[in-house]
Amino acid sequence: MIRLVWLDYRAMLRERKVLVIVALFAYAILAVPALLSKPPAHVLTAVTGWFGTADPFALFLYVWTDLAMNKLAAIVAVVLAGGLMARERDMGILPILLSKPISRGRYFLVKLLSAWGVLVTVYVAAHVLEAVAFGRSIPGFRAGVFFASMSLHALTLLFSAAFAATLAVVIRRRTIAMVVSLLILMSLMGASFVGFYQPAWRAAAMANPFSLGVQALAHLPSPGLADVLWPMAGLAAMTCGMALLGALAARRVEA
Amino acid sequence: MAAIEIASLTKRFGKFVAVDGVSFSVDEGEIYGFLGHNGAGKTTTLRMLLGLTQPDSGSARVLGNDVVKESLAVRREVGFLPAGYALPPDMTARGFLTYVGAMFGMNLREARARADELLARFELSEVAKRKLGAFSTGMAQKVGMAQALVNEPRVLLLDEPTSGLDPIGRHELLQLLRSLSMDKGVTVLFSSHILSDIEALCRRVAVLHHGRLVAAGDVAALRAEHKAASMEDLYLALARKEAA
Repeated sequence: MIRLVWLDYRAMLRERKVLVIVALFAYAILAVPALLSKPPAHVLTAVTGWFGTADPFALFLYVWTDLAMNKLAAIVAVVLAGGLMARERDMGILPILLSKPISRGRYFLVKLLSAWGVLVTVYVAAHVLEAVAFGRSIPGFRAGVFFASMSLHALTLLFSAAFAATLAVVIRRRTIAMVVSLLILMSLMGASFVGFYQPAWRAAAMANPFSLGVQALAHLPSPGLADVLWPMAGLAAMTCGMALLGALAARRVEA
Repeated sequence: MAAIEIASLTKRFGKFVAVDGVSFSVDEGEIYGFLGHNGAGKTTTLRMLLGLTQPDSGSARVLGNDVVKESLAVRREVGFLPAGYALPPDMTARGFLTYVGAMFGMNLREARARADELLARFELSEVAKRKLGAFSTGMAQKVGMAQALVNEPRVLLLDEPTSGLDPIGRHELLQLLRSLSMDKGVTVLFSSHILSDIEALCRRVAVLHHGRLVAAGDVAALRAEHKAASMEDLYLALARKEAA
């Protein structure tokens, strides 16, 4: 299965939609200086209120996480995994692939794992570039906190891909599945900081993968290892559960 | 010994009966014609043999394996070329055949070697690194045939394999199938509505009409029984008899 995932990952990297994803990440990197140069007053107030600091690094991390990566997590996951198996079926490729000795569930997992691989590749590259680009220009930039926080957030991206892929095999109509995925993921994303401004909702917000993905920000300026690891464990469990649900649903897909 | 045994196989889509109690068997090493008009139920039958579609009733075995309970075992031994398929447009020919090899559990070295062997056999080595989306119909059909042979199958299920091929491509494919059957003992279930292809290749046929099996057996015997001079006459006689 690992061989197949590797080959699929390499093939997926050549797909045109990966160029779209790379372009979206590049846009995010380029847009951050503009966002940071004149941050809206409500953003500054929120950062000070929620994180208890006016540290420029906290502002940068919030802008990068919420205004860039949170939105991208919803969009790129749907672009890459929102048509998983449905696309192959619509194009007429699936009968050939499913005539080989691989179960539908396993094939779903192969495609999802390779999609995750592509997303992680682009995500890591974007964050290394971001760290290089802003490491010196943002006063108080802490690479350890940046990478720890964004490693946690990466799991939100993986969850989103698993969710979009699962909906694709459950709904089976590619366009409808992608639209529904996008709407649900955008709604979850919109509520990701609800626990910050409504403390009463904080516990309930932990059921939202996007809220878990931004938990490192709740412990600024110095989140500890445990502050990152427990939401990571929660997100990993949600993501694996969603992937297994998708693999089960894929068993009913007809070529 | 029968390589393919089909017994009372039935498939319904809602109220429409696509395959209606079809039974026939194909011997090992035989090229068996599977004949019928468009929508007769040939494709659905082949898909049931591969476990791509579940039968509503009846049973089928391929090389002794039940197509429902042991479909992965069936697919390990079978090569399949569907009708009206597409190939992944962003993959190269070599990449795709290697990928298919990996699906059969080959390691990367084995899969690449097998891909190169098949590309050479189908005279595609020069375009091995070209994306499949840029292939002509004939070249794509060669890749389609190559992917069906990656696992050196004991049984080949071919659904309209000569559609879209020019006369030379068609001739080469028929020659290849003869050679696979005679030299390697590969069993071929050849589904087509191109009667001349069936006539050129097959000693025995099964004829479907609106999902029902209207004739099965030796072509010469069927022609004698229905006083048909050619395969075309035989098919028309059977179709008219059903319509009457």
